Amino acid sequence: MLNTMIRPKKSTIFLLLLVPVAWYIFSVFIPLVVAVFYSFFEWKGGPAKTFIGWGNYISMIHDKLFWQAFGHNIYLVVVCIIGQIGLAFVFVLMIMSRFVKLKGIHRTLAFFPSTISAIAIGFIWSMIYNYRYGLLNWFLKAIGRSDLVSVWLNEPKFALILVSLPLIWQFIGYYMVILFSAVAAIPQEIFESAELDGASGFQRAVHIVLPLTKNMIFVCITLCIAGNMKAFDHIYIMTNGGPGTASNVMALYAYTVSFRQSNMGYGSTVSIGIFVLSLAIILGSRALLNYFSKEEAGL
Amino acid sequence: MSRKNSHSSNDMRVGRGVGAFFINAILIIFSFSCIFPLIWMFYSSLKEKRAFQLDIISLPAKPTFDNYVAVANDRDAHIWTALLSSFRTTVFAVLLIIVFGYVLGYLLGRLKFRGSKIFSLLLLLGLLIPIHSLLVPIYVVFNRLGIGDKWYTLIIPYVAFGLPIAVFLIHGYVLSVPKEFEEAAAIDGYGFVRTMFSILLPICMPILVTVAIIQTFACWNEFSFALVLINNINYKTVPLAMTQFTGQFNSNYPKMMAAMLLTMAPVVLFYFLFSKKIIEGMVAGAIKG
Repeated sequence: MLNTMIRPKKSTIFLLLLVPVAWYIFSVFIPLVVAVFYSFFEWKGGPAKTFIGWGNYISMIHDKLFWQAFGHNIYLVVVCIIGQIGLAFVFVLMIMSRFVKLKGIHRTLAFFPSTISAIAIGFIWSMIYNYRYGLLNWFLKAIGRSDLVSVWLNEPKFALILVSLPLIWQFIGYYMVILFSAVAAIPQEIFESAELDGASGFQRAVHIVLPLTKNMIFVCITLCIAGNMKAFDHIYIMTNGGPGTASNVMALYAYTVSFRQSNMGYGSTVSIGIFVLSLAIILGSRALLNYFSKEEAGL
Repeated sequence: MSRKNSHSSNDMRVGRGVGAFFINAILIIFSFSCIFPLIWMFYSSLKEKRAFQLDIISLPAKPTFDNYVAVANDRDAHIWTALLSSFRTTVFAVLLIIVFGYVLGYLLGRLKFRGSKIFSLLLLLGLLIPIHSLLVPIYVVFNRLGIGDKWYTLIIPYVAFGLPIAVFLIHGYVLSVPKEFEEAAAIDGYGFVRTMFSILLPICMPILVTVAIIQTFACWNEFSFALVLINNINYKTVPLAMTQFTGQFNSNYPKMMAAMLLTMAPVVLFYFLFSKKIIEGMVAGAIKG
Protein backbone atom coordinates (compact mmCIF):
# COMPACT_ATOMS: atom_id res chain seq x y z
CA MET A 1 0.00 0.00 0.00
CA LEU A 2 2.81 2.36 0.88
CA ASN A 3 4.42 1.49 -2.37
CA THR A 4 1.40 2.79 -4.28
CA MET A 5 1.49 6.01 -2.31
CA ILE A 6 4.96 6.87 -3.46
CA ARG A 7 4.67 5.52 -6.97
CA PRO A 8 4.89 8.47 -9.36
CA LYS A 9 2.82 9.11 -12.44
CA LYS A 10 4.07 7.71 -15.73
CA SER A 11 4.48 11.19 -17.12
CA THR A 12 6.75 12.10 -14.19
CA ILE A 13 9.01 9.12 -14.86
CA PHE A 14 9.04 9.98 -18.54
CA LEU A 15 10.00 13.58 -17.90
CA LEU A 16 12.74 12.63 -15.48
CA LEU A 17 14.21 10.10 -17.89
CA LEU A 18 13.89 12.15 -21.04
CA VAL A 19 16.97 14.36 -20.95
CA PRO A 20 19.56 11.90 -19.54
CA VAL A 21 18.44 9.07 -21.81
CA ALA A 22 18.34 11.27 -24.88
CA TRP A 23 21.78 12.68 -24.02
CA TYR A 24 23.22 9.23 -23.60
CA ILE A 25 21.75 7.79 -26.78
CA PHE A 26 22.77 10.85 -28.77
CA SER A 27 26.42 10.59 -27.69
CA VAL A 28 26.90 6.84 -27.65
CA PHE A 29 24.53 5.06 -29.98
CA ILE A 30 23.92 7.56 -32.76
CA PRO A 31 27.69 7.83 -33.43
CA LEU A 32 27.95 4.06 -33.46
CA VAL A 33 25.23 3.83 -36.12
CA VAL A 34 26.85 6.67 -38.05
CA ALA A 35 30.20 4.84 -37.97
CA VAL A 36 28.58 1.71 -39.38
CA PHE A 37 26.99 3.81 -42.13
CA TYR A 38 30.22 5.55 -43.18
CA SER A 39 32.24 2.35 -43.02
CA PHE A 40 30.61 1.33 -46.29
CA PHE A 41 31.82 4.41 -48.14
CA GLU A 42 35.00 5.59 -49.70
CA TRP A 43 34.99 9.03 -48.12
CA LYS A 44 37.82 11.51 -47.72
CA GLY A 45 35.82 13.83 -45.46
CA GLY A 46 34.69 16.10 -48.28
CA PRO A 47 31.26 16.24 -49.95
CA ALA A 48 31.99 13.31 -52.28
CA LYS A 49 31.19 9.81 -50.99
CA THR A 50 31.23 6.56 -52.93
CA PHE A 51 29.42 3.48 -51.72
CA ILE A 52 31.82 0.56 -51.84
CA GLY A 53 29.94 -2.08 -49.83
CA TRP A 54 32.26 -4.33 -47.87
CA GLY A 55 35.31 -2.85 -49.60
CA ASN A 56 36.69 -1.13 -46.51
CA TYR A 57 36.20 -4.25 -44.42
CA ILE A 58 38.06 -6.36 -46.95
CA SER A 59 40.91 -3.82 -46.94
CA MET A 60 40.99 -3.91 -43.16
CA ILE A 61 41.24 -7.69 -43.03
CA HIS A 62 44.28 -7.46 -45.31
CA ASP A 63 45.70 -4.39 -43.59
CA LYS A 64 48.99 -5.43 -42.01
CA LEU A 65 49.28 -2.13 -40.12
CA PHE A 66 45.92 -2.64 -38.45
CA TRP A 67 46.79 -6.14 -37.30
CA GLN A 68 50.22 -5.03 -36.17
CA ALA A 69 48.54 -2.35 -34.06
CA PHE A 70 46.13 -4.95 -32.70
CA GLY A 71 49.10 -7.16 -31.80
CA HIS A 72 50.65 -4.24 -29.94
CA ASN A 73 47.44 -3.81 -27.94
CA ILE A 74 47.55 -7.48 -26.99
CA TYR A 75 51.21 -7.09 -26.02
CA LEU A 76 50.30 -4.14 -23.80
CA VAL A 77 47.51 -6.16 -22.18
CA VAL A 78 49.89 -9.00 -21.36
CA VAL A 79 52.78 -6.92 -20.00
CA CYS A 80 50.39 -4.74 -18.04
CA ILE A 81 48.59 -7.69 -16.45
CA ILE A 82 51.96 -9.04 -15.34
CA GLY A 83 53.52 -5.68 -14.53
CA GLN A 84 50.60 -3.87 -12.97
CA ILE A 85 48.55 -6.55 -11.26
CA GLY A 86 51.50 -8.85 -10.54
CA LEU A 87 53.63 -6.14 -8.96
CA ALA A 88 50.61 -4.64 -7.22
CA PHE A 89 49.88 -8.02 -5.65
CA VAL A 90 53.47 -8.42 -4.46
CA PHE A 91 53.60 -4.88 -3.09
CA VAL A 92 50.30 -5.34 -1.27
CA LEU A 93 51.58 -8.50 0.39
CA MET A 94 54.73 -6.65 1.38
CA ILE A 95 52.78 -3.77 2.86
CA MET A 96 50.55 -6.19 4.76
CA SER A 97 53.57 -7.70 6.50
CA ARG A 98 54.17 -6.59 10.04
CA PHE A 99 57.65 -5.22 9.43
CA VAL A 100 56.65 -2.50 7.06
CA LYS A 101 56.48 1.06 8.27
CA LEU A 102 54.77 4.04 6.62
CA LYS A 103 51.88 1.99 5.18
CA GLY A 104 49.64 5.02 4.72
CA ILE A 105 52.37 6.98 2.96
CA HIS A 106 53.05 4.10 0.58
CA ARG A 107 49.39 3.96 -0.35
CA THR A 108 49.10 7.70 -0.88
CA LEU A 109 52.25 8.01 -2.99
CA ALA A 110 51.72 4.85 -5.04
CA PHE A 111 48.23 5.93 -6.02
CA PHE A 112 49.27 9.45 -6.94
CA PRO A 113 50.46 8.81 -10.54
CA SER A 114 47.11 7.34 -11.56
CA THR A 115 45.43 10.67 -10.91
CA ILE A 116 47.76 12.57 -13.23
CA SER A 117 46.82 13.05 -16.86
CA ALA A 118 48.33 10.64 -19.34
CA ILE A 119 49.78 13.61 -21.19
CA ALA A 120 51.79 14.72 -18.16
CA ILE A 121 52.90 11.14 -17.53
CA GLY A 122 53.90 10.77 -21.17
CA PHE A 123 55.83 14.00 -21.00
CA ILE A 124 57.59 13.04 -17.78
CA TRP A 125 58.70 9.74 -19.28
CA SER A 126 59.80 11.39 -22.51
CA MET A 127 62.04 13.45 -20.28
CA ILE A 128 63.32 10.30 -18.58
CA TYR A 129 64.16 8.79 -21.98
CA ASN A 130 65.48 12.07 -23.40
CA TYR A 131 68.90 11.68 -25.02
CA ARG A 132 70.64 14.75 -23.63
CA TYR A 133 68.66 15.63 -20.53
CA GLY A 134 67.08 12.32 -19.63
CA LEU A 135 67.34 10.59 -16.27
CA LEU A 136 67.92 7.20 -17.88
CA ASN A 137 71.03 8.28 -19.76
CA TRP A 138 72.16 10.27 -16.74
CA PHE A 139 71.88 7.12 -14.65
CA LEU A 140 73.75 5.01 -17.21
CA LYS A 141 76.57 7.55 -17.24
CA ALA A 142 76.57 7.71 -13.45
CA ILE A 143 77.10 3.96 -13.16
CA GLY A 144 79.82 4.10 -15.79
CA ARG A 145 77.92 2.53 -18.67
CA SER A 146 78.09 5.43 -21.14
CA ASP A 147 78.27 2.81 -23.90
CA LEU A 148 74.57 2.03 -23.34
CA VAL A 149 73.44 5.65 -23.68
CA SER A 150 70.94 5.88 -26.49
CA VAL A 151 68.17 7.89 -28.14
CA TRP A 152 65.75 5.54 -26.47
CA LEU A 153 62.46 6.26 -28.16
CA ASN A 154 64.07 6.07 -31.60
CA GLU A 155 64.88 2.39 -31.15
CA PRO A 156 62.24 0.31 -32.96
CA LYS A 157 63.27 -2.74 -30.92
CA PHE A 158 62.57 -1.07 -27.59
CA ALA A 159 59.82 1.40 -28.47
CA LEU A 160 56.91 -0.78 -27.39
CA ILE A 161 58.37 -1.86 -24.07
CA LEU A 162 59.55 1.69 -23.37
CA VAL A 163 56.05 3.07 -23.85
CA SER A 164 54.54 0.32 -21.72
CA LEU A 165 56.77 1.08 -18.73
CA PRO A 166 55.02 4.38 -17.95
CA LEU A 167 51.66 2.63 -18.32
CA ILE A 168 52.71 -0.07 -15.89
CA TRP A 169 54.27 2.38 -13.47
CA GLN A 170 51.31 4.76 -13.53
CA PHE A 171 48.68 2.20 -12.58
CA ILE A 172 50.44 -0.13 -10.14
CA GLY A 173 49.16 2.03 -7.30
CA TYR A 174 45.64 1.87 -8.66
CA TYR A 175 45.56 -1.93 -8.56
CA MET A 176 47.40 -1.90 -5.23
CA VAL A 177 44.60 0.08 -3.66
CA ILE A 178 41.92 -2.25 -5.05
CA LEU A 179 43.80 -5.38 -3.96
CA PHE A 180 44.55 -3.79 -0.62
CA SER A 181 40.86 -3.54 0.14
CA ALA A 182 40.38 -7.17 -0.91
CA VAL A 183 43.23 -8.41 1.30
CA ALA A 184 42.05 -6.29 4.21
CA ALA A 185 38.72 -8.12 4.05
CA ILE A 186 40.40 -11.48 4.80
CA PRO A 187 39.86 -12.35 8.49
CA GLN A 188 43.05 -11.89 10.47
CA GLU A 189 42.60 -15.24 12.28
CA ILE A 190 43.31 -17.12 9.06
CA PHE A 191 46.76 -15.55 8.86
CA GLU A 192 47.44 -16.13 12.51
CA SER A 193 46.57 -19.82 12.41
CA ALA A 194 48.58 -20.25 9.21
CA GLU A 195 51.54 -18.61 10.87
CA LEU A 196 51.19 -20.90 13.88
CA ASP A 197 51.19 -23.86 11.50
CA GLY A 198 54.50 -22.58 10.19
CA ALA A 199 53.38 -21.38 6.76
CA SER A 200 56.00 -19.14 5.16
CA GLY A 201 55.12 -15.76 3.71
CA PHE A 202 55.22 -17.23 0.23
CA GLN A 203 52.98 -20.16 1.18
CA ARG A 204 50.50 -17.81 2.80
CA ALA A 205 50.47 -15.68 -0.34
CA VAL A 206 49.79 -18.60 -2.65
CA HIS A 207 47.47 -20.71 -0.52
CA ILE A 208 45.53 -18.09 1.40
CA VAL A 209 45.67 -14.63 -0.12
CA LEU A 210 45.54 -15.65 -3.78
CA PRO A 211 42.44 -17.87 -3.57
CA LEU A 212 40.61 -15.47 -1.26
CA THR A 213 41.22 -12.44 -3.44
CA LYS A 214 40.73 -14.24 -6.72
CA ASN A 215 37.51 -12.48 -7.61
CA MET A 216 39.06 -9.10 -7.07
CA ILE A 217 42.08 -10.09 -9.13
CA PHE A 218 39.70 -11.04 -11.95
CA VAL A 219 38.08 -7.62 -11.67
CA CYS A 220 41.54 -6.09 -11.98
CA ILE A 221 42.36 -8.22 -15.01
CA THR A 222 39.14 -7.14 -16.73
CA LEU A 223 39.90 -3.50 -15.98
CA CYS A 224 43.43 -3.96 -17.25
CA ILE A 225 42.31 -5.52 -20.52
CA ALA A 226 39.68 -2.84 -21.12
CA GLY A 227 42.20 -0.13 -20.26
CA ASN A 228 44.89 -1.38 -22.60
CA MET A 229 42.61 -2.05 -25.55
CA LYS A 230 42.08 1.72 -25.60
CA ALA A 231 45.70 2.77 -25.04
CA PHE A 232 46.22 6.03 -26.88
CA ASP A 233 47.21 9.13 -24.91
CA HIS A 234 50.61 8.04 -23.57
CA ILE A 235 51.74 6.69 -26.88
CA TYR A 236 50.44 9.68 -28.81
CA ILE A 237 52.59 12.00 -26.72
CA MET A 238 55.69 9.79 -26.40
CA THR A 239 56.27 8.25 -29.81
CA ASN A 240 53.15 8.91 -31.87
CA GLY A 241 53.25 5.23 -32.73
CA GLY A 242 56.80 5.37 -33.99
CA PRO A 243 59.52 4.91 -34.90
CA GLY A 244 57.72 3.86 -38.07
CA THR A 245 54.86 1.84 -36.67
CA ALA A 246 56.89 0.11 -33.94
CA SER A 247 54.65 1.31 -31.12
CA ASN A 248 51.41 1.89 -32.99
CA VAL A 249 48.14 0.84 -31.36
CA MET A 250 44.62 0.48 -32.74
CA ALA A 251 43.22 3.75 -31.41
CA LEU A 252 46.21 5.66 -32.74
CA TYR A 253 45.83 3.93 -36.10
CA ALA A 254 42.16 4.94 -36.34
CA TYR A 255 43.14 8.48 -35.43
CA THR A 256 45.94 8.60 -38.01
CA VAL A 257 43.80 7.18 -40.79
CA SER A 258 40.84 9.45 -40.06
CA PHE A 259 42.46 12.74 -39.18
CA ARG A 260 45.99 12.74 -40.57
CA GLN A 261 45.20 10.99 -43.84
CA SER A 262 41.60 12.31 -43.70
CA ASN A 263 40.28 8.96 -44.83
CA MET A 264 37.04 9.09 -42.85
CA GLY A 265 35.38 6.15 -44.52
CA TYR A 266 38.18 3.76 -43.78
CA GLY A 267 38.67 5.40 -40.38
CA SER A 268 35.07 4.52 -39.55
CA THR A 269 35.71 0.95 -40.59
CA VAL A 270 38.77 0.77 -38.36
CA SER A 271 36.64 2.21 -35.53
CA ILE A 272 34.12 -0.57 -35.99
CA GLY A 273 37.02 -3.01 -36.08
CA ILE A 274 38.26 -1.68 -32.73
CA PHE A 275 34.75 -1.90 -31.35
CA VAL A 276 34.26 -5.53 -32.39
CA LEU A 277 37.73 -6.72 -31.40
CA SER A 278 37.75 -4.95 -28.02
CA LEU A 279 34.29 -6.17 -27.15
CA ALA A 280 35.21 -9.72 -28.20
CA ILE A 281 38.38 -9.71 -26.10
CA ILE A 282 36.76 -8.14 -23.04
CA LEU A 283 33.71 -10.41 -23.11
CA GLY A 284 35.82 -13.45 -24.04
CA SER A 285 38.21 -12.89 -21.17
CA ARG A 286 35.30 -12.35 -18.77
CA ALA A 287 33.72 -15.62 -19.86
CA LEU A 288 37.06 -17.38 -19.47
CA LEU A 289 37.64 -15.95 -15.99
CA ASN A 290 34.10 -16.84 -14.94
CA TYR A 291 34.62 -20.36 -16.22
CA PHE A 292 37.80 -20.74 -14.17
CA SER A 293 36.29 -19.32 -11.02
CA LYS A 294 33.27 -21.66 -11.30
CA GLU A 295 35.48 -24.67 -11.90
CA GLU A 296 37.47 -23.96 -8.75
CA ALA A 297 34.34 -23.35 -6.73
CA GLY A 298 33.07 -26.75 -7.83
CA LEU A 299 36.16 -28.57 -6.59
CA MET B 1 56.70 -27.11 16.92
CA SER B 2 58.88 -27.32 19.97
CA ARG B 3 62.18 -27.92 18.21
CA LYS B 4 62.81 -24.22 18.11
CA ASN B 5 65.91 -23.64 20.16
CA SER B 6 67.38 -20.29 20.94
CA HIS B 7 69.96 -20.67 18.19
CA SER B 8 67.58 -21.14 15.30
CA SER B 9 65.15 -18.52 16.51
CA ASN B 10 68.05 -16.13 16.63
CA ASP B 11 68.86 -17.04 13.03
CA MET B 12 65.28 -16.46 12.11
CA ARG B 13 65.27 -13.07 13.71
CA VAL B 14 68.36 -12.07 11.77
CA GLY B 15 66.80 -13.45 8.59
CA ARG B 16 63.63 -11.53 9.28
CA GLY B 17 65.58 -8.39 9.97
CA VAL B 18 67.31 -8.60 6.61
CA GLY B 19 64.05 -9.52 4.88
CA ALA B 20 62.21 -6.68 6.56
CA PHE B 21 64.96 -4.29 5.53
CA PHE B 22 64.68 -5.37 1.90
CA ILE B 23 60.90 -5.23 1.86
CA ASN B 24 60.94 -1.76 3.35
CA ALA B 25 63.65 -0.67 0.95
CA ILE B 26 61.79 -1.95 -2.12
CA LEU B 27 58.57 -0.23 -1.09
CA ILE B 28 60.32 3.02 -0.27
CA ILE B 29 62.09 3.01 -3.62
CA PHE B 30 58.83 2.36 -5.44
CA SER B 31 56.88 5.00 -3.52
CA PHE B 32 59.70 7.45 -4.03
CA SER B 33 59.68 6.77 -7.77
CA CYS B 34 56.01 7.77 -7.82
CA ILE B 35 56.70 11.22 -6.48
CA PHE B 36 60.25 11.80 -7.68
CA PRO B 37 59.41 12.91 -11.24
CA LEU B 38 57.24 15.64 -9.77
CA ILE B 39 59.96 16.72 -7.34
CA TRP B 40 62.55 16.66 -10.10
CA MET B 41 60.36 18.73 -12.37
CA PHE B 42 59.68 21.16 -9.57
CA TYR B 43 63.26 21.86 -8.58
CA SER B 44 64.39 21.81 -12.21
CA SER B 45 61.78 24.44 -13.01
CA LEU B 46 63.53 26.69 -10.49
CA LYS B 47 66.73 26.54 -12.50
CA GLU B 48 67.86 28.66 -15.39
CA LYS B 49 68.09 26.96 -18.75
CA ARG B 50 71.89 26.92 -18.65
CA ALA B 51 72.10 25.51 -15.15
CA PHE B 52 69.74 22.70 -16.14
CA GLN B 53 71.75 21.87 -19.23
CA LEU B 54 74.96 21.67 -17.25
CA ASP B 55 73.58 19.24 -14.69
CA ILE B 56 70.10 17.80 -14.93
CA ILE B 57 70.02 16.23 -11.49
CA SER B 58 71.52 18.67 -9.02
CA LEU B 59 69.43 21.02 -6.95
CA PRO B 60 69.25 24.62 -8.15
CA ALA B 61 72.13 26.67 -6.76
CA LYS B 62 70.13 29.88 -7.03
CA PRO B 63 66.44 28.96 -7.12
CA THR B 64 64.39 31.41 -9.13
CA PHE B 65 60.71 31.69 -10.01
CA ASP B 66 61.53 33.45 -13.27
CA ASN B 67 60.29 30.54 -15.34
CA TYR B 68 56.92 30.67 -13.63
CA VAL B 69 56.65 34.40 -14.11
CA ALA B 70 57.62 34.04 -17.75
CA VAL B 71 55.12 31.26 -18.38
CA ALA B 72 52.31 33.02 -16.53
CA ASN B 73 52.88 36.13 -18.64
CA ASP B 74 53.42 34.26 -21.90
CA ARG B 75 50.26 34.98 -23.86
CA ASP B 76 51.11 32.34 -26.45
CA ALA B 77 51.22 29.61 -23.82
CA HIS B 78 47.51 30.10 -23.02
CA ILE B 79 47.94 28.67 -19.54
CA TRP B 80 45.07 30.60 -18.07
CA THR B 81 42.62 29.91 -20.88
CA ALA B 82 43.48 26.22 -20.64
CA LEU B 83 42.91 26.17 -16.89
CA LEU B 84 39.67 28.06 -17.35
CA SER B 85 38.44 25.72 -20.10
CA SER B 86 39.29 22.65 -18.10
CA PHE B 87 37.67 24.10 -15.03
CA ARG B 88 34.49 25.07 -16.86
CA THR B 89 34.21 21.77 -18.72
CA THR B 90 34.88 19.73 -15.59
CA VAL B 91 32.42 21.63 -13.40
CA PHE B 92 29.56 21.43 -15.88
CA ALA B 93 30.23 17.83 -16.83
CA VAL B 94 30.55 16.62 -13.24
CA LEU B 95 27.41 18.46 -12.14
CA LEU B 96 25.40 17.01 -15.00
CA ILE B 97 26.80 13.53 -14.41
CA ILE B 98 25.72 13.75 -10.78
CA VAL B 99 22.24 15.05 -11.56
CA PHE B 100 21.60 12.59 -14.41
CA GLY B 101 23.33 9.78 -12.59
CA TYR B 102 21.23 10.37 -9.51
CA VAL B 103 17.97 10.52 -11.44
CA LEU B 104 18.72 7.34 -13.39
CA GLY B 105 20.32 5.50 -10.49
CA TYR B 106 17.44 6.33 -8.21
CA LEU B 107 14.72 5.40 -10.70
CA LEU B 108 16.45 2.13 -11.61
CA GLY B 109 17.00 1.35 -7.95
CA ARG B 110 13.47 2.05 -6.76
CA LEU B 111 11.07 1.45 -9.62
CA LYS B 112 10.29 -1.12 -12.21
CA PHE B 113 9.03 0.72 -15.25
CA ARG B 114 8.64 -0.19 -18.87
CA GLY B 115 12.08 -0.27 -20.47
CA SER B 116 14.04 -0.26 -17.21
CA LYS B 117 15.63 -3.63 -18.05
CA ILE B 118 16.59 -2.52 -21.54
CA PHE B 119 17.93 0.69 -20.20
CA SER B 120 20.18 -1.05 -17.68
CA LEU B 121 21.51 -3.14 -20.53
CA LEU B 122 22.21 -0.09 -22.67
CA LEU B 123 24.17 1.43 -19.81
CA LEU B 124 26.14 -1.76 -19.35
CA LEU B 125 27.01 -1.70 -23.04
CA GLY B 126 28.14 1.90 -22.58
CA LEU B 127 30.68 0.71 -20.03
CA LEU B 128 32.11 -1.75 -22.53
CA ILE B 129 32.15 0.40 -25.66
CA PRO B 130 35.73 1.43 -26.33
CA ILE B 131 35.50 5.20 -26.56
CA HIS B 132 38.14 5.33 -29.26
CA SER B 133 35.85 3.59 -31.69
CA LEU B 134 33.52 6.58 -31.30
CA LEU B 135 36.07 9.35 -31.87
CA VAL B 136 35.60 9.48 -35.62
CA PRO B 137 31.79 9.22 -35.69
CA ILE B 138 31.37 11.73 -32.85
CA TYR B 139 33.60 14.14 -34.74
CA VAL B 140 31.50 13.66 -37.86
CA VAL B 141 28.14 14.00 -36.09
CA PHE B 142 29.20 17.02 -34.05
CA ASN B 143 30.55 18.88 -37.03
CA ARG B 144 27.47 18.09 -39.10
CA LEU B 145 25.26 19.52 -36.38
CA GLY B 146 27.54 22.50 -35.80
CA ILE B 147 28.20 21.65 -32.17
CA GLY B 148 31.89 20.86 -32.63
CA ASP B 149 34.62 23.18 -31.37
CA LYS B 150 32.39 25.16 -28.97
CA TRP B 151 32.88 25.85 -25.28
CA TYR B 152 30.28 23.20 -24.43
CA THR B 153 31.39 20.59 -26.99
CA LEU B 154 33.40 18.40 -24.63
CA ILE B 155 30.74 18.40 -21.95
CA ILE B 156 28.51 16.26 -24.20
CA PRO B 157 30.73 13.16 -24.50
CA TYR B 158 32.14 13.55 -20.97
CA VAL B 159 28.66 13.39 -19.47
CA ALA B 160 27.61 10.48 -21.67
CA PHE B 161 30.70 8.40 -20.96
CA GLY B 162 30.74 9.21 -17.27
CA LEU B 163 27.11 8.29 -16.87
CA PRO B 164 27.21 4.47 -16.87
CA ILE B 165 29.67 4.17 -13.99
CA ALA B 166 27.87 6.91 -12.06
CA VAL B 167 24.51 5.20 -12.49
CA PHE B 168 25.87 1.84 -11.37
CA LEU B 169 27.46 3.28 -8.26
CA ILE B 170 24.38 5.31 -7.30
CA HIS B 171 22.00 2.47 -8.17
CA GLY B 172 23.91 0.11 -5.88
CA TYR B 173 23.90 2.67 -3.10
CA VAL B 174 20.18 3.42 -3.40
CA LEU B 175 19.44 -0.31 -3.04
CA SER B 176 21.21 -0.27 0.32
CA VAL B 177 19.06 2.61 1.65
CA PRO B 178 15.97 1.37 3.58
CA LYS B 179 12.65 2.15 1.89
CA GLU B 180 11.31 3.50 5.21
CA PHE B 181 12.68 6.93 4.32
CA GLU B 182 10.38 7.22 1.32
CA GLU B 183 7.48 5.72 3.21
CA ALA B 184 7.84 8.24 6.00
CA ALA B 185 8.04 11.04 3.44
CA ALA B 186 4.90 9.74 1.73
CA ILE B 187 3.06 9.79 5.05
CA ASP B 188 4.19 13.37 5.51
CA GLY B 189 2.60 14.12 2.17
CA TYR B 190 5.76 14.49 0.09
CA GLY B 191 5.44 13.79 -3.61
CA PHE B 192 7.78 11.51 -5.52
CA VAL B 193 10.06 14.15 -6.96
CA ARG B 194 10.27 16.07 -3.72
CA THR B 195 11.10 12.88 -1.80
CA MET B 196 13.74 12.02 -4.33
CA PHE B 197 15.53 15.35 -4.11
CA SER B 198 14.97 16.57 -0.57
CA ILE B 199 14.94 13.29 1.40
CA LEU B 200 16.99 10.73 -0.50
CA LEU B 201 19.55 13.00 -2.14
CA PRO B 202 21.21 14.01 1.15
CA ILE B 203 21.31 10.35 2.22
CA CYS B 204 23.11 9.47 -1.01
CA MET B 205 25.72 12.18 -0.49
CA PRO B 206 28.67 9.81 0.20
CA ILE B 207 28.29 8.02 -3.12
CA LEU B 208 27.68 11.28 -4.96
CA VAL B 209 30.97 12.60 -3.58
CA THR B 210 32.69 9.44 -4.82
CA VAL B 211 31.17 9.90 -8.27
CA ALA B 212 32.21 13.54 -8.28
CA ILE B 213 35.82 12.65 -7.41
CA ILE B 214 36.12 9.93 -10.04
CA GLN B 215 34.58 12.11 -12.72
CA THR B 216 36.61 15.17 -11.80
CA PHE B 217 39.81 13.28 -12.53
CA ALA B 218 38.34 11.67 -15.63
CA CYS B 219 37.16 14.99 -17.11
CA TRP B 220 40.21 16.99 -16.11
CA ASN B 221 42.60 14.44 -17.60
CA GLU B 222 40.63 13.44 -20.70
CA PHE B 223 42.61 13.85 -23.87
CA SER B 224 41.31 12.01 -26.94
CA PHE B 225 37.94 13.73 -27.34
CA ALA B 226 39.54 17.09 -26.67
CA LEU B 227 42.19 16.37 -29.31
CA VAL B 228 39.65 15.50 -31.97
CA LEU B 229 36.84 17.92 -31.18
CA ILE B 230 38.59 21.14 -30.14
CA ASN B 231 40.59 23.45 -32.39
CA ASN B 232 39.77 26.85 -30.94
CA ILE B 233 42.63 27.87 -28.69
CA ASN B 234 40.16 29.41 -26.24
CA TYR B 235 38.49 26.08 -25.58
CA LYS B 236 41.58 23.89 -25.34
CA THR B 237 41.76 22.00 -22.07
CA VAL B 238 44.84 21.42 -19.93
CA PRO B 239 45.98 18.13 -21.54
CA LEU B 240 45.78 19.76 -24.98
CA ALA B 241 47.65 22.82 -23.78
CA MET B 242 50.35 20.52 -22.40
CA THR B 243 50.96 19.05 -25.83
CA GLN B 244 51.44 22.61 -27.00
CA PHE B 245 54.02 23.48 -24.35
CA THR B 246 56.14 20.56 -25.39
CA GLY B 247 56.43 22.02 -28.87
CA GLN B 248 56.62 25.63 -27.84
CA PHE B 249 59.25 25.40 -25.11
CA ASN B 250 61.11 22.48 -26.60
CA SER B 251 64.44 24.27 -26.27
CA ASN B 252 63.84 25.40 -22.72
CA TYR B 253 63.08 22.45 -20.46
CA PRO B 254 62.89 24.32 -17.15
CA LYS B 255 60.34 26.66 -18.66
CA MET B 256 58.37 23.73 -20.04
CA MET B 257 58.40 22.10 -16.63
CA ALA B 258 57.16 25.30 -15.04
CA ALA B 259 54.28 25.37 -17.54
CA MET B 260 53.48 21.71 -16.88
CA LEU B 261 53.51 22.17 -13.14
CA LEU B 262 51.35 25.29 -13.25
CA THR B 263 48.67 23.42 -15.15
CA MET B 264 49.04 20.29 -13.02
CA ALA B 265 48.89 22.20 -9.75
CA PRO B 266 45.09 22.08 -9.26
CA VAL B 267 44.84 18.27 -9.48
CA VAL B 268 48.03 17.69 -7.51
CA LEU B 269 46.76 19.93 -4.69
CA PHE B 270 43.33 18.33 -4.86
CA TYR B 271 44.94 14.91 -4.59
CA PHE B 272 47.21 15.58 -1.66
CA LEU B 273 44.51 17.46 0.27
CA PHE B 274 41.90 14.72 -0.10
CA SER B 275 43.97 11.62 -0.88
CA LYS B 276 42.22 9.40 1.64
CA LYS B 277 38.74 10.16 0.37
CA ILE B 278 39.95 10.02 -3.22
CA ILE B 279 41.48 6.57 -2.81
CA GLU B 280 38.27 5.26 -1.24
CA GLY B 281 36.22 6.77 -4.02
CA MET B 282 38.37 5.44 -6.84
CA VAL B 283 38.26 1.96 -5.31
CA ALA B 284 34.47 2.06 -5.11
CA GLY B 285 34.37 3.13 -8.75
CA ALA B 286 36.86 0.56 -9.92
CA ILE B 287 35.21 -2.34 -8.15
CA LYS B 288 31.73 -1.65 -9.40
CA GLY B 289 32.95 -0.90 -12.90
